[in-house]
Amino acid sequence: FPPAFQAISRNPIVLDLAYNMIEFPPIENRMKKDRKAKGGFISRIFG
Amino acid sequence: MAPKAKPAPSQPAPPPALEDLFTTLNRHIQASAYDNAVKLTDQILAIAPGDEDALRCKVVALIKNDRVEDALSAIHSSKKQLDDFHFLKAYCLYRQNKLDEALESLKRQESNDETMLLECQILYRLGKMDACLDIYRKFQNSKIDNMEINSVAALVMAGRSSEVQGMLDSL
Repeated sequence: FPPAFQAISRNPIVLDLAYNMIEFPPIENRMKKDRKAKGGFISRIFG
Repeated sequence: MAPKAKPAPSQPAPPPALEDLFTTLNRHIQASAYDNAVKLTDQILAIAPGDEDALRCKVVALIKNDRVEDALSAIHSSKKQLDDFHFLKAYCLYRQNKLDEALESLKRQESNDETMLLECQILYRLGKMDACLDIYRKFQNSKIDNMEINSVAALVMAGRSSEVQGMLDSL
């Protein structure tokens, strides 16, 4: 005593790679246009 | 000039409030503030029920927050039949260890890198190592990070540890 250490087998590591593939959709086209583009749009109508 | 401006309202422009909400939503996503992102998607969906971008953002944010149960209910809450939500649904089912249902959902989606990766992980959990390795072999030349870790695991669990070195050398 104490008993000697023994090696045991363990399950191999597996990663959740699919998780990394889950991404937000592009929503830039749903957002407010930036000021430059907006100015262009307004000036096209009112200019 | 005035008559010229009149046709403008007939353009199918989305209501500006929605654009503001998407802008804020994007800020939360960039900051990884997923709780707030979910709240924003709820606001958008209240105004525009069935908005696929908002729903997809909601589901992804819930998954990133480890709320797969809520992500599944969000998918189910949609009245429309959403064709490209099968992968997300399959992933949630996989996380709940509902492996057969997950495979079923995956089959409805056209196969691509993400569906094949998930299929491998499901097959691994089901103990179908050979089927799993067949798919991993197709990925051998693609540049997916840490792919070899799962391939090695499948080889070991399949009792084919002797092939591990050869597989790693071939990368």
